[in-house]
Amino acid sequence: MGWADRLLARNEGTGGPAEAELFDEAFLARLELLQVIARRLFRGRQRAERKTRKVGSGLEFADHREYSPGDDIRYLDWTVWIRLHHALIRLFEEDEDLPIRIVIDVSDSMRTKDGAKLRYAMQVGAALAYVGLANLDRVGITCASGKHHGTLPAVRGKGRIFRVFEFLRSAPRGGPTDIRAMCTRVAAESRQPGLTVVLSDFYDLEGAFEGLNMLRFRKHEPVAVQVLDPLEADPTASGLRGDVRLVDVEGGSARDVTLSPRALKAYAEAHQRFCEHLEQSCRSRGIYLARAPIDVPFDDMVLRLFRQGGILR
Amino acid sequence: MSFAGLSLAQLWPLFAAGGGAITVLYLLRMRRRQVVVPFAALWERVTRESESRRLWRRLRRLLSWLLQMLVLALVCLALGDPRPEVWLRDPISLAIVIDTSASMAGPAADEPDTTRLDLARRRAEQEILALGPADRAVVLEASEELGVVAPLSSDPASVVPRLQRLTPRFGEADLPRALALASHAVGERPGPRILVLTDGALDPGAVDALRACTEGPIPCEVARVGGPAENVAITAFAARRYPYARDQIEVLTEVRNLGDTPVKVVLEIEADDAAVGKRTLHLPPGESKREVLAQLDAARSRFVARLRHEDGSDAPFGLPHDDEAHAVVPPLSPLDVVLVTDGTNLFLEAALLVLDDHVRLTGISPQEAREGRRPELAEADVVFFDVGSDVLPSTLPDAHVVMFDPWRHQDQAAPCPIAKKADVERPFLTEQDRDHPVLDHVVLKDVNLARGTTFDVIPGDEILVRTLGDPIAVLREGEHALVAFGFDPRQSDLPMRTAFPMVVDNLVRYFEQREAGFVASVPLGAHRELALADLGLAPEGVTRVTVRGPGPATDGASGDGSAGSEFPVERGRFRLRALVPGFYTITAVDGPLAGSSVELAVNQASVHASDLHDALQALELPEAAVADAPPEPTPLPQGPLWTLVMLVVASLVALEWASYHRRVTV
Repeated sequence: MGWADRLLARNEGTGGPAEAELFDEAFLARLELLQVIARRLFRGRQRAERKTRKVGSGLEFADHREYSPGDDIRYLDWTVWIRLHHALIRLFEEDEDLPIRIVIDVSDSMRTKDGAKLRYAMQVGAALAYVGLANLDRVGITCASGKHHGTLPAVRGKGRIFRVFEFLRSAPRGGPTDIRAMCTRVAAESRQPGLTVVLSDFYDLEGAFEGLNMLRFRKHEPVAVQVLDPLEADPTASGLRGDVRLVDVEGGSARDVTLSPRALKAYAEAHQRFCEHLEQSCRSRGIYLARAPIDVPFDDMVLRLFRQGGILR
Repeated sequence: MSFAGLSLAQLWPLFAAGGGAITVLYLLRMRRRQVVVPFAALWERVTRESESRRLWRRLRRLLSWLLQMLVLALVCLALGDPRPEVWLRDPISLAIVIDTSASMAGPAADEPDTTRLDLARRRAEQEILALGPADRAVVLEASEELGVVAPLSSDPASVVPRLQRLTPRFGEADLPRALALASHAVGERPGPRILVLTDGALDPGAVDALRACTEGPIPCEVARVGGPAENVAITAFAARRYPYARDQIEVLTEVRNLGDTPVKVVLEIEADDAAVGKRTLHLPPGESKREVLAQLDAARSRFVARLRHEDGSDAPFGLPHDDEAHAVVPPLSPLDVVLVTDGTNLFLEAALLVLDDHVRLTGISPQEAREGRRPELAEADVVFFDVGSDVLPSTLPDAHVVMFDPWRHQDQAAPCPIAKKADVERPFLTEQDRDHPVLDHVVLKDVNLARGTTFDVIPGDEILVRTLGDPIAVLREGEHALVAFGFDPRQSDLPMRTAFPMVVDNLVRYFEQREAGFVASVPLGAHRELALADLGLAPEGVTRVTVRGPGPATDGASGDGSAGSEFPVERGRFRLRALVPGFYTITAVDGPLAGSSVELAVNQASVHASDLHDALQALELPEAAVADAPPEPTPLPQGPLWTLVMLVVASLVALEWASYHRRVTV
C-alpha cells in the first residue's frame, strides 16, 4: 500500500478526531464575530432582516407609483388624491430573508495533507452558515464531489447551527473534483436562487469556471472561495527533489518526472497562471473569487476577504 | 606503455565483469519514489516540455553509463600500474655538449630569424624532456672557455631554464676539453652517453677530439645544427703611426670572403664618427683583400670599420660580430733618455736634442752616475754613456744602454758585459750590417779612428760593425739591449759625419720600438693577460684598473667584469676577457698616474671563428655517432602513474556526483 493509498484510507469515510475538533468551543466563540449580508437582496418567503427593493408589505415607506387597475386600494395615497386628484400607490420596503447555499468541495484533492484544505473549507463554511442563521437567513449546506453529493436542506434559526455542524462532520468525502457537476446539481436543487458560496480548490481545469457560470446563469449569486495550500501552490520550498513518480490523489495514470528546481519553479508559475486565469474569468462575469490560503485563520479570512467582496458588513 | 601490476590478460576479464555489472544495473529500471499530488493535470502540463527532451534524457542516461564505464576502465588501468617504456629501460647518464662558439650565432638552415644555437638549445631541451625518472643529464657549454650550463640532474625543470640563458660566445669551441669533461662526468655512471650539438664549424683540434670521442668507449653522438656557410669578415684591422711622421697614421683593413660564392661588399671606415674611407670590394670565394688608408691625421684616435651591403643594408654577412672592427691609434709617449757625459762631446748631445719630439733628454755627469745621486738614471729608458776619459760607474742602470769605448781603462773593472778582445790602433770600419735598423741609412765607410777595442762576442750577439772581421760595434739583447761601440767618438771624425746623428736617431728609435709593442686590439672571448705598458699606461704603482666596455659583458679574472669593473694589477699586468667588440677604456685607479686612462679595441678578427663551413663533412663519422631524430618527450617525468589515474577517477566520481544533483546525468 502506497503513501497515497494510506493517506486516502486514513481519511476515507467520515468523522474522526480531526472532525470532532472542527467546531469546538473556541470555534463557536469566533463565529459570533461574523455577520453576513448579501450584496443583493433576493426574494424570500419569510420576513427576515434584509430589505428588498421590491415594494411589499413592509413598514417603511419607500416610494409612490401610478395606480393601475388591480392594485390594492388599501395602499392608495388618499392625501395625494385629495390634494392633487392623482391616484398614487404607496410603496413600502419589504424585509426578506436571504437564501444562502454553501457548497463545499469534498473531493480527494481537498483531502491531501490530512485534509487540511477540507477542514479549512468546512470551518469557513460553518462560519458563513452560523452568521447566516444568526441573521435569520435560510442556510443550506452541500458537500459534494464527483462521487458524492450530500445536501442539508435550508434551515433557519441560530439554533440550527449544530445541525449544520453534524452534517459537516458526517458528510461523505472523497472522489474526483467535478465543479461543473456539483454546481449543476446545486442549481437544480435550489428552488430559490440566492447567495451560493462555493468553497473549493477548483483543481478542475475544465469545469471550474463553467460550474460557477452555471450558478450565475440560474440567477444565483455565486461567490468562489479558492482554498489553497501554499506549499501545493509553490512547491519550491517543499524540499521535493529528484526522480519521482507523481500520482494524482484523485486517480489517473502515474507520471515519472525529475523534479529539479527549474521544474518546481515552472509548476509554481503554472499554478499562478491557473489561479489568475480563474480569477480573470470570474471577474469578467461578475463573480467574486477570493483566495483563502490555509495558513490564514479562517475568521480573519472570512472578515477580510468577504468584506472586500462586499458580503460582510 | 607497459603494465607493472596486473597484466592485460588479467585486466580484460576484470573490466568485462565490471562493465557487465554496471550495464545490468543500468538496464534495471529504477524504482522511483511516489509523490501524491492534488493537481496532476497541472504537473502534466508543466512536465510536457521535458517530454520533448526525452532523447536528451536517454543520451543523459547513456552519458552516465559511459562515465561509469570510464571510471571502471581507469580503475582497471590503475590496477595494471602502467609505466611508460622510458621508466622501465635502464637508466642513462647523458652529457650534452653544446657548441657555443661564434659560428653558432650564424643563421640556421631553413628557419629564418633562427640561429644555430637556437636549434641546439631546442634539441638539448628535447633530450632533457625525454629523460626518465632514473636518468641523469649534464649540460656543458664549449666555447673558447668551458662552462657547465647545468650540473648532473634528473630534473628538467631545473635544466631547461638554464638552456634558455645560453648565448653564442666568440672564438672557437674548445671541444677537446669539453669532451674530456663530459667523459669524466658520465663515464663511471650507468648508461653513459655523450651528445654533441654543433654546427660543425670547428677547428682541426676540435674535429680530432670529436673523432676520438666517437671512437671511444663511451657512446658519443653528434647532432649537427648547421646552416648556410656564407660569411664575409673583417679579419684584420689596425692603425699605426708612420715611423718618421708620427703626426700621421695609416689604417690597414683585411676583408675575407669565407663563403662559397663571390660577394660584393662595401667597406666603410670611420674615425671618431667621421667617415674617412669607403671602398667597394669584389671578393671571390675564399679570398681576402687588404685595404690601406694612408696618411690620415693622427689627431683621430678611434677607427671603426664596417661591412655593408651594396644597397646600404645593415643585414649581417653571416656572423654579425665580424662585420665590424675597431682600432685605436697608439699614443705618443716620449722616451726618457739620460746622457752621462763629461760635457766634451757636444755632437752627441746635439744629436739627441734634435729628437726633442719623442725624447726627454737629461744630462748627468759621470761622477753623479757613479755615485747614483740622480734618480733620472734609475727611471731612464735609454742611457748613453759617453764619459770620454772618465771612469764608468761600476754597475749599469736598468735600461737600454749605449756605451762608447767601454774598455778604455785597462785597470778598470769595466761594467760592460761584452768582453774585450783586443786593442786596435787606427782601426778601419770595414764591414757593417746594413740591414740592421740601427745602421739604417748609415754609411761608416772611411771613418777615421785613432784607436779602439774589439769585442769578444758570444752567440746571440749582433755584430753591427766589424774591423777587419773583428766586432767593434756589438748589440747584445737581453732584458734590456746593450750597444757597445769599441771606440770613442772624440777620437774619430765620426761626429763630423752625417752618419753620426743618424746612428743616434736609429738607436733611440730601435730602443723605442723594442719596448713592449702597443697593443692596438685584442680578440674577443678568451682571457688575455695584458700589460699596462703595452697599452700605453705607466704601470708603476698601479694595483687596480677600471675597465669600461661598450656593453656589460666584459669578464675579468676576478669578477664578472661588467662595465666599470675593477681588476687587480700584478706586476703591471691584469687579465681581461672581452665579450663585446668595441672600445674599452682602461683607467688606473691608484698609483702616481691615478685617473689616467687608455683605450683598447676589441675585435673578433679570427678567420677560424668566422668560418661557417661544416668541418665535419669531411670527417666520416661512424653511423652510430650520428644522432637520430629528437626523442619524444616523456609523458610523465615521475611516477607512479596509477596514482594519477586514481586522481582522475576521483575527479570523475566527484563530477558525476555533482552533476547528479543538478540532473545533468541520471
